[in-house]
Amino acid sequence: MNGTSFGRLLRSGALALAGTLAAWSGAASADTIKVGIIGPFSGPFALQGKNFQAGAEAWLAQNGKSVAGHDIELVYRDLPTANPQQARALAQELIVKDKVQYLGGVYFTPDAMAITPLLKQGNVPLVIFNAATSAIMTSSPLVVRTSFTTAQTASPLGKATVDRGIKKFVSVVTDYGPGVDAEGAFKKAVTAAGGEVVESIRMPLNTTEFSPIMQRIRDAGAQGVFAFLPSGPPTLGFVKSFSDTGLKQAGVKLFATGDLTQESDLPALGEAASGMVTSFHYAVSHDSEINKRFVAAAEKAIGAPDLLSFPAVGAYDGLFVIAKMIAATGGKQDAEKAVEAVKGLAWESPRGPVKIDPETRHLTQTIYLREVAKDAQGRWINKEIASFPDQGDPGLAK
Amino acid sequence: MAEATIRSAAASRPGPLLRDLLGLGLIALGGLAGYLLFPDNLAFLTRLISVALLVLSLDLIVGYCGIASLGQAALYGAGAYTAGIACLNGVTEPFLLVLIGAAAGAMTGLLMGAVMLRAHGLPQLVLSIALVQLLHEAANKASWLTGGSDGLSGMVPAPLFGVFEFDLWGRSAYLFGLGLLLVVFAVLRLVVRSPFGMLCRGLKEDPLRISALGIYAFPVLLKMFVISGAVAGTGGALAAIATQVVGLDSVSFELSANALVMLVLGGIGHLYGALVGTVIFMALEHVVAAANPFHWMTLVGAVLIAIVLFAPRGLSGSLDQLAGLLTRQGGRAGR
Repeated sequence: MNGTSFGRLLRSGALALAGTLAAWSGAASADTIKVGIIGPFSGPFALQGKNFQAGAEAWLAQNGKSVAGHDIELVYRDLPTANPQQARALAQELIVKDKVQYLGGVYFTPDAMAITPLLKQGNVPLVIFNAATSAIMTSSPLVVRTSFTTAQTASPLGKATVDRGIKKFVSVVTDYGPGVDAEGAFKKAVTAAGGEVVESIRMPLNTTEFSPIMQRIRDAGAQGVFAFLPSGPPTLGFVKSFSDTGLKQAGVKLFATGDLTQESDLPALGEAASGMVTSFHYAVSHDSEINKRFVAAAEKAIGAPDLLSFPAVGAYDGLFVIAKMIAATGGKQDAEKAVEAVKGLAWESPRGPVKIDPETRHLTQTIYLREVAKDAQGRWINKEIASFPDQGDPGLAK
Repeated sequence: MAEATIRSAAASRPGPLLRDLLGLGLIALGGLAGYLLFPDNLAFLTRLISVALLVLSLDLIVGYCGIASLGQAALYGAGAYTAGIACLNGVTEPFLLVLIGAAAGAMTGLLMGAVMLRAHGLPQLVLSIALVQLLHEAANKASWLTGGSDGLSGMVPAPLFGVFEFDLWGRSAYLFGLGLLLVVFAVLRLVVRSPFGMLCRGLKEDPLRISALGIYAFPVLLKMFVISGAVAGTGGALAAIATQVVGLDSVSFELSANALVMLVLGGIGHLYGALVGTVIFMALEHVVAAANPFHWMTLVGAVLIAIVLFAPRGLSGSLDQLAGLLTRQGGRAGR
């Protein structure tokens, strides 16, 4: 592994050098459009960043590296954990130094919020591949999102849980934008369906030890738990801890957004997650022709099938949107026109039919209710058991 | 009074003052060269200056007082958050914001010093970590004030001198930062050469002897903590003004540890070492992370190990040695 990574490093170093030289000589080919992608490519969340890369490269592999005669070049920048200050610095540099025409990626909401104020001045649209707080869209008119919001994925869960005969809930969320959104959306939905949330727990973003949280859940005496954490090491720890501390065996039901059962974690979770019901916009096992082709291409890009997860589909659709923007502006840098061109755009994504809402610039899509189960080959999957079509973002329609 | 001593010191030995002027000139020259050579990297260079101020402040207590700290970012973050909050509440004049940041850093330095100076050695180090973690958690919890994990954003500092805006290209932010760095550096040179600075160094070398002279160490070291806090707070305020975002990262243990790494890299106990270490560390990280965003940390680690192995006194220590060899004045004069 070291040999290849070093080789890659040398190559990218040489590329960077060549790029600088080309820029100096003033002969930078006008026909290459740079797209800056910011994501966690190293550190604890590296797998999510790898999925960004896999999704984007899968799209390029299927559709070619040029759009309407303009070559697309992806410029990756690493932002290992949520760090708004660093996010802003990276975006600034991508715009000013690397002269990217489009920004994409962004895993965490705080990072997105730090970048949006730059867009207008830089004349650059931002296509968000993941960050899931509703309010990002109101912070700049130049943002388009191809992922989901936690309010969007959590809302359908409210009725579905009450329908299963569970009325008393504890909600446990990470204490930042998307967590607060998820908590509010679930509470609203569950109350409307006749259930109640008896306690709301918020955990700091960097929490890694969940036993005290599990004790509080036990003390609250609820029948069901609703949880949201950003996908990565924390979700793995949370679901494992829920099972290890005996809450699962005690009959407490854990419901969550699909962040907690992302496919790349399922082999490690195994029995601990078995039977868990989640709601989400995408399952790698989604049964459609276009998804099969997407999964094949993305698995090839990421290297190992086990690693594929939902950020890849956000990136794949993100590249689709960016390509539409490039075609609409004829390769010229015009952020407003680019965003205008994709408002109302509807297409068939690997996750199902999607449409960019012209008002919010967020995706209207189908949200699926899924259960963790084994497929025919004995692999753990998120098995879709119900679907809620045409879900907008309830987080913005206050 | 300090000024008078400096003047008399300068009269008897013109060397150090000339050296300082030369040093300041070199920093200014380097800064302007950065401005002209890397006009597209000014945002990064501004961040570099802001971190350099943090590392300088750490050098004051580690290098001159012998107090180990892994919590210096507490002072930096206090400055950044206070300046950011002030800016959101209508105080937008950049110079005033820097003063506010420096004051907040000094206050935090006073508190932190008061706690940390109760212990020595490893317990002191542990206290510093505990303090920065406490402050980090406080900033996280008080999200109504600080934005918590979402970060504090939305501040719009007024243009510099009412003309030069803090914009995307970061020219005014960089020159503003460079000016701050020069002023702070000049003041710190005076501080560390003053009798007070000598006293601190004496306390580091031989505390028993100093106490035998009838000097009570606590207020002396506390004073240095306050100065160090003001410097770190200035750096934090600069970051808040330049990036217009303050995140929890600015009060993190990680940033504190990185600052210490930069200081060790550059050389402890010369203010120049702090600058050299910051520039080398951050430039290395920046270039490697851009060249390979997937495996850059490994390479940075390897280079750091190499530097520590081959230049154990820090890069500026090695430079001093080299200069000493060339001018035959001996490396000791450099300390």
